[in-house]
Amino acid sequence: MIENFIPPFNFNDIFIEPWTYGFESYIWIFLMGFFVNAACGLVGNFIILRRMALVGDAISHSLLPGIALAFILSSSRSTTVIVIGAISAGLLTTIFIEYIYKTSRVKADAAIGIVFSTFFAIGVILITMYADHVDLDADCVLYGEIGFIPFDERASFAGINLGPIPVVRMAGVTIVVLLLINLFYKELLVTSFDVGLANSLGINTNLFHYGLMAVLSVVIVSAFESVGAILVIAMLIFPGATASLISHRLPITLGLSLFLSILYSLIGVHLAIWLNCSIAGAMVVVAGLIFTGVWLFNPTNGLIKKMGLTRKLTK
Amino acid sequence: MIDDYREAAPLEIHDLTVAYQKKPVLYGIDLEVPKGSLVGIVGPNGAGKSTLIKTIMGLVPIGSGWIKIFGKSFKKAITRVGYVPQRESVDWDFPVNVLDVVLMGRYGRLGLLKKPSKDDKDIAMACLEKVKMSPYANRQIANLSGGQQQRVFLARALAQESDLYFMDEPFAGVDAATETAIIEILQELKNRGKTLLVVHHDLPTAKQYFDRLLLLNMRLVAFGPTEEIFTMENLQKTYGGRLTILSDVAVERNLGVKVD
Amino acid sequence: MFFQSNLHAAKIGELTETSVFEQALRFLSLKDPAVRIAVLGSIFLGINCGLLGSFIVVRKLALVGDALSHAVLPGVALGFMWNMTKDPIAIFVGATIAGLIGVTAVNLIKDTTKIKEDSVLGMVLAGFYGVGIVLLTMIQNLPFGNKSGLDKFLFGQAAALSVSDIQLIGSITLLCLIIVYFFYKEFLVISFDFSFAQSTGIPAKAFHYLLMLLLTFSVVVALQAVGVVLVSALLITPAATAYLLTDRMHRMLFLAALFGMLSGLTGAFLSFLGNDLPTGPFMVVAASSLFIAAFLFGPRYGLIPKFLKRKNQSYQIEVENTLKAIYQVLEKNNFKEEGVLFDKLAEHRNESIVDTENQINKILKMGCATLNENENSDSNYFKQKLISLTPTGWTRACEIVRNHRLWELYLTNEAQYAADHVHEDAEIIEHVLGDDTVRKLEKMLNFPTRDPHGKLIPGLKYLEDNGTHNSKSAVTQI
Repeated sequence: MIENFIPPFNFNDIFIEPWTYGFESYIWIFLMGFFVNAACGLVGNFIILRRMALVGDAISHSLLPGIALAFILSSSRSTTVIVIGAISAGLLTTIFIEYIYKTSRVKADAAIGIVFSTFFAIGVILITMYADHVDLDADCVLYGEIGFIPFDERASFAGINLGPIPVVRMAGVTIVVLLLINLFYKELLVTSFDVGLANSLGINTNLFHYGLMAVLSVVIVSAFESVGAILVIAMLIFPGATASLISHRLPITLGLSLFLSILYSLIGVHLAIWLNCSIAGAMVVVAGLIFTGVWLFNPTNGLIKKMGLTRKLTK
Repeated sequence: MIDDYREAAPLEIHDLTVAYQKKPVLYGIDLEVPKGSLVGIVGPNGAGKSTLIKTIMGLVPIGSGWIKIFGKSFKKAITRVGYVPQRESVDWDFPVNVLDVVLMGRYGRLGLLKKPSKDDKDIAMACLEKVKMSPYANRQIANLSGGQQQRVFLARALAQESDLYFMDEPFAGVDAATETAIIEILQELKNRGKTLLVVHHDLPTAKQYFDRLLLLNMRLVAFGPTEEIFTMENLQKTYGGRLTILSDVAVERNLGVKVD
Repeated sequence: MFFQSNLHAAKIGELTETSVFEQALRFLSLKDPAVRIAVLGSIFLGINCGLLGSFIVVRKLALVGDALSHAVLPGVALGFMWNMTKDPIAIFVGATIAGLIGVTAVNLIKDTTKIKEDSVLGMVLAGFYGVGIVLLTMIQNLPFGNKSGLDKFLFGQAAALSVSDIQLIGSITLLCLIIVYFFYKEFLVISFDFSFAQSTGIPAKAFHYLLMLLLTFSVVVALQAVGVVLVSALLITPAATAYLLTDRMHRMLFLAALFGMLSGLTGAFLSFLGNDLPTGPFMVVAASSLFIAAFLFGPRYGLIPKFLKRKNQSYQIEVENTLKAIYQVLEKNNFKEEGVLFDKLAEHRNESIVDTENQINKILKMGCATLNENENSDSNYFKQKLISLTPTGWTRACEIVRNHRLWELYLTNEAQYAADHVHEDAEIIEHVLGDDTVRKLEKMLNFPTRDPHGKLIPGLKYLEDNGTHNSKSAVTQI
């Protein structure tokens, strides 16, 4: 029965056509996938180092009511309103989580679970109750609609067509993230590595903590419509985690994250064409497979290598 | 008045009380540390040695009393203070190498938006050289022994070029060679007029290493030149069991009337 | 090429279009079979999730529950592919296997790499979910795919539960109840101290995996009603609510099951009221409302009781300080006066007459003092009124003074503080010393009568013998 699910593999359809007849569509899908993965992956490196992966998870769910409210209140798709809605939802999530576990006996993990599920539930209720005002549907929340990117309105600058608006926006976000990391590299590094030292150096650790959360919220909200609330977590964590298996130097893991983003997006698009499935989902599957590959077969510290070593040692 | 020309003491603590959750507390600490002293903070486990340092560094809230560093608040004197935390306090799998960690000592001076210059790197390398770690400059920090990690921390403190240093158990779990190396550097810093407060848990070496001792067991038992302070009576007072009522009450006090 | 399915958050109330009130009546009368099934399902799920959620909350594994709930998705899809129908058993088996693989993957990655737990959970959660989405969208895009039903797993639809679903949910709930009942003490000890449990010979690992298996079962059966994304809330929130209200594990289990049930029922009810309202999100919002209520009003750990307690305490402190001041003024005159004049007290406390009056009113209200006309004074002016302590007031004043002076003595004698350094601290401590501590202090200090400044310490014994205050009793005590 299962074999019925896997469509036949046709090299021409899967690898040639997207770059010839379908070029106009697929280039944008690929670029969007790359920018989403890149922006998420870059920020994700710091999120991982701060052991806040699950706070990132929480924020990505919590943005839903922020976005929905922004839609309802502004009744237009004003970018500013949506970004403000997203940043406030993201910061509120962080503040609520910290408030709950600092003032009560509930531990951090449970606090995260409670806050994000509440926000997400409210978001789902809002988008179903105000479906007329909210240009979001459940599909979009669950796995995004990156496939519709080519049909989006085009952005143009001085008469030059730059491409679909979401792609241009995401590219902008990626560039801003790169710029911020470049400008505040040393503060991000030291606040992540040793809060005590950062304090003693006079660095405002709270500012960087909440600043990072705000940037994270902006990145996620820009990626939201393309990949949904949950797959975005994979894009936050997989690049940094995979890179950390390969290198122990932060500049290199950041660079590797960018490279991995290209792979995820490129292979993901082709996989989705072959299997006729969600493109964002396929990108995550690729991310998972690459991680598994590196984890098992990495020549320096892969699992297989390690198991071989222990066998040799116990012999 | 001569006093007007003299700089304020590196560290002055008045009637400091700290109680947080159910951890060690400090009770009514009064202290003035003169410039150029190498002070060993000695006391039994749970005496509040680390708490004292963390409170001075602003990492633990003050219950009551005040602390002044060179006559100013900690925030204002921040560039003059260097800190060496306990080794376990950081994640040694963090993706940085030895030189990166030492360079972090320079960040406070650099301020926002500036990148470490060639000079900063030279200073960091010189500090690594001082702790005999320069051959390891490019090594990932996870691949260091305990003693080497401690030397890296020390090099980072040196790179801060501070006037007042706080070190939390720099001798914990290090090899004999590292211990000697560290104490030599501490002596040298002291001779250059720096002030150092070092948490230490080994009594016999404490007498040898430090020119002043601060005997602590929740309250300040004694503080002064080692030869005066290192008496049987003082040590018995310090190690003579915990003042259980003091710690009980500190908890009650913290839960009951919180002094924010 | 581009697919779109009509995936709406699920809802119960597509039955009729009547008023909210009629809908409510309909729900409460349990007339509709769909309502009966939804109610039954919600009750079972609430109990189930509350029970198992309690263990993961106390073990700080809450987000393992979250990762698990996402990890089952590929299993659901594969179970569906088994024979292209929504066969509860096939889906149950597939989801359980996927969930267990997810949990194992978390442990494996954590043990063999340096990646921290939070990232591992995130990867497994989102990675498995990605696989699930790929499979689900593949099914949806098949020409012969049975498109109804599967999307319900994402947001849940209590009304879509079938009788066979309910049978499955019921048996899983029963199984969990039985296992938790019989192995309660084993689960308790592995939750509290895993290595201790191992040292006592309990097969701790086996019980851990049993718990994970039961957890997977609960997640899988809850999926249809609540959905993949929100099922973890049903595990975590009711248990965390219970955790705020009790200190005993068995009570926590009971409360968590109760709250889970309540949330489930409320969610089902609310989603029935409107026409377009999803079930799962309402259950979660109901559970969160209970949590917020417990967070704010819980008698032991609630914010508001804590706040009131603190406020009450500062009121107490003010009263005690007034009583102490009266004692001190009396003491100045060697207890020769029957009472204290208003202006003398104000002078002693270095505050305005108005402030003193406010404070005195507080102790008058508590019956700690009476206000008398001063015989020696010509004027009736209130400044000249005499404040006399009642027996209760006198005893409390003595207690506070005793606490203060005992503590000063303790700090100087036992903790070797300088005598001029102890007053400030004693000012705070005097209000928090409990009877037990006072007795311990007295014993340790050998029932002292004088504080470091040479003043009298009113003793406990004395307090018990003399309820009334007069110059004689105080002086004879000296």
